Amino acid sequence: MNALLDAGLAPWLRAIDPGPIPAWWQERRRRALESLQTRPLPHSKEESWRYTSLNALLDQGFTAPVQPFTPPPAELDALLIPGLDTHRLVLVNGCFAPELSSSTPLPEAVRIGGLSNWLADDPDLLEDWLGTAIDGKAAFFTLLNEATLADGLAIWVGRGLVIEQPLEVIHICSGQAEPPVAQPRLLVHLEAGAQTTLIERYVGLGKTPTCTNAVIEVSLARDAVLRHERIQTESNQAFHLSGLYLVQDPGSRYQGIQIGLGGRWARTELNVRLQGPHAECLLSGLYVAGDGQLLDYHLDIEHRAPACRSLEHFKGILSGRGRAVFDGRVLVARAAQKSDATMTNRNLMLSEEAEVDAKPQLEINADDVQCSHGTTVGQIEPELLFYLRARGIEARLARRILCLGFASEIIDQIADESLRGHLNSVIGQRLG
Amino acid sequence: MSGSPAFEGIVKSDYEHGFVTEIESDTLPPGLNEEVIRTISRRKAEPEFMTEYRLKAYRHWLSMQEPRWAFVDHPPIDFQAISYYSAPKHLKEGPKSLDEIDPALLETYNKLGIPLEEQKVLAGIAVDAVFDSVSVATTFRETLAQAGVIFCSISEALRTYPDLVRQYLGSVVPYTDNFYACLNAAVFSDGTFVYIPKGVRCPLELSTYFRINARNTGQFERTLIIADVGSYVSYLEGCTAPQSDENQLHAAVVELIALDDAEIKYSTVQNWYPGDAEGRGGIYNFVTKRGDCRGARSKISWTQVETGSAITWKYPSCILRGEGSVGAFYSVAVTKGRQQADTGTKMIHLGRHTRSTIVSKGISTGWGRQTYRGLVRVAQRAQGARNHTQCDSLLIGDRCSANTVPYIEVKNPTARVEHEATTSKISEDQLFYCRARGLNAEDAVSMIVNGFCKEVFNELPMEFAVEAQKLLSISLEGAIG
Repeated sequence: MNALLDAGLAPWLRAIDPGPIPAWWQERRRRALESLQTRPLPHSKEESWRYTSLNALLDQGFTAPVQPFTPPPAELDALLIPGLDTHRLVLVNGCFAPELSSSTPLPEAVRIGGLSNWLADDPDLLEDWLGTAIDGKAAFFTLLNEATLADGLAIWVGRGLVIEQPLEVIHICSGQAEPPVAQPRLLVHLEAGAQTTLIERYVGLGKTPTCTNAVIEVSLARDAVLRHERIQTESNQAFHLSGLYLVQDPGSRYQGIQIGLGGRWARTELNVRLQGPHAECLLSGLYVAGDGQLLDYHLDIEHRAPACRSLEHFKGILSGRGRAVFDGRVLVARAAQKSDATMTNRNLMLSEEAEVDAKPQLEINADDVQCSHGTTVGQIEPELLFYLRARGIEARLARRILCLGFASEIIDQIADESLRGHLNSVIGQRLG
Repeated sequence: MSGSPAFEGIVKSDYEHGFVTEIESDTLPPGLNEEVIRTISRRKAEPEFMTEYRLKAYRHWLSMQEPRWAFVDHPPIDFQAISYYSAPKHLKEGPKSLDEIDPALLETYNKLGIPLEEQKVLAGIAVDAVFDSVSVATTFRETLAQAGVIFCSISEALRTYPDLVRQYLGSVVPYTDNFYACLNAAVFSDGTFVYIPKGVRCPLELSTYFRINARNTGQFERTLIIADVGSYVSYLEGCTAPQSDENQLHAAVVELIALDDAEIKYSTVQNWYPGDAEGRGGIYNFVTKRGDCRGARSKISWTQVETGSAITWKYPSCILRGEGSVGAFYSVAVTKGRQQADTGTKMIHLGRHTRSTIVSKGISTGWGRQTYRGLVRVAQRAQGARNHTQCDSLLIGDRCSANTVPYIEVKNPTARVEHEATTSKISEDQLFYCRARGLNAEDAVSMIVNGFCKEVFNELPMEFAVEAQKLLSISLEGAIG
């Protein structure tokens, strides 16, 4: 506790009272708090925190808001993307807000609700479900999320169900007086053969610094297919932490796209466990770090079963004093023969002051595998710029075109056209 | 392919160079304290500043922690159980020619295939052979002296050229650098000193054979090579060690300094005793090697073939300080049995238009565990820096492992950094192709592996390339299956 108090993280632990919670839930919080007390704060000597300092975050004095907060409808409308047709689910400061969410009915086999609703309807299922994807691998901030766990959202898609309309989860962090910290928890489970698209968006309201510390647990049963688009467009004052824990059963397929555009300091940790044969995990990402931004990605991909495939493809554009960290690890366990893993990371540096630190690691304990990784850091090819300039395009526009071209490899993987258009215009603005 | 009995016999092939030469050694009792350090310094008749330097390093070492971050396991090392000085007794006065050398010693070298007297005539290589800790023979002094090249043991250099040593020793690897480098600075026994004067192209390939002989003697070699403006030198280092049941610690430090337009080519074939099939015995090879491209357009290249040692832990690095300087690292590492290797390089780009190339080939068999760990750093001032890194791992057998841990840190937009890595096994197609042409499985594998390593072998001097290929085939014998 002392380390937390010293670091000024104690106000994070002030959670909104979710009403009566059962003993097992209390116990989870207590255990999380206990392990936090035995751990030091993440520091630069820790391998995964080598390039990332916590100081800026600690200096802000974030506090968990005690009062529930409902943003005015007009502000909420401004956050929506025109033309994006989804079933909307809104979390405000980590609490599910049904009154802001879509009310259109979903098929019966989809069960969606706040954790408090689940607690009332099916406490046994929730008890078995919560935390299974994390499986003892909880990072420091995941434990912090766990220790204050009050509410969140859980989505259960029944066996064989195919949902055409994407589900859209909007995370809003906002507070009135003190800089707020929200610690949302999102659970997603697809039963065997289910298929769906989930769009997760992190957005900021207002200009005050905010902090989000999200934990997302995703589990895919046999042959389930999930397309997961995670889009972070918070303000340049925002601090963002998110830990995704993904577990895949045999034959399941996960396609994840990470877009990181906002945030002064944003750290994303992706933990993937391929525990059934022939599971497939495709992860791609784009980060655009402008002046004063730090975008930090950590991937931990474990091939635990044979014949799984994973593909990690991350691209970054850095300008101003923007910084990015890409730390990826692929582990192939002894049993995971016939694994196929490819990790690539490409960075485009646009300014003198930008910095990128990349660390793509392979840990291979099986021999019959195909694993590779590649990293590049470079600037815009003068020849390409010349080509466009020679055709009468002014320098700034030419650079923007080339950057959008570089980004398009990832953006084009987004399924919805209006969302793609929205992202292109945000990137265009950010590049100036 | 696995379980094929065809290779069983060769798997158990014993370490060829496992023999102990019975020579009386003048060895200090095990243990380390300031008195031991003073004794080492006194016996070597070192100047005062050196004794002080050693003591400073020792005091700093006491405050340091043994590093734990490498992917290697070994029982804790008892630094008080090691004897820090061992000199073959018969050599106290120092030999004037080969005739004065103990015949038993010469026999050892003959078994290793480096007959000094023959080399003098045939190979044209000057050999500064290190038998345990004191240099025993130096050949071709005259040829080198004519060119103005200084090639001698570091103890001799300390006595003869104290100012030169004082100017450069510890300027690339300061004693505060890391735990083992610090220990080395305190207790280093002997090593090699090379100085190539301005504009001189060293007429011979310089070579040192290291050999750990007396049991229980840690070897702490210190090598210092200075290439003055516009000079060139190629330096060869090779090691074999006799079979021994105790783990032996080898913590060497190598410092290279290249001034304007100078080039240093440093090649290593490392074949220390790797331990028996269960991983008992074997050398711990914890080495700090670093080159400093201090001058503009200077060039340093490291080429290594690592087949021996129970644990190898080394990262030959280049600090590319001078404008337009070039660094290169070519490595083949083989781990079999219970061997562990955590090796790689660091390329620190500080100057403008600096370039570096990294080619690392890892082959892991049996229970072998191998890690490539590398750092490419481009500082903000390093305009137009360029790096290409390629590290490939080949896995043979399902109990070995290969890890790749590259760090890439770029702070300049004009830098171009590329990193590629692959891990795979020998493909059935390649094997089938060779087998269909009448090669037996083992020759086929040997051929494929040699092809895999070719990029690195091409960088070795001729004599070493042949030796390295032979060593590789011997290492892989029986490991396949």
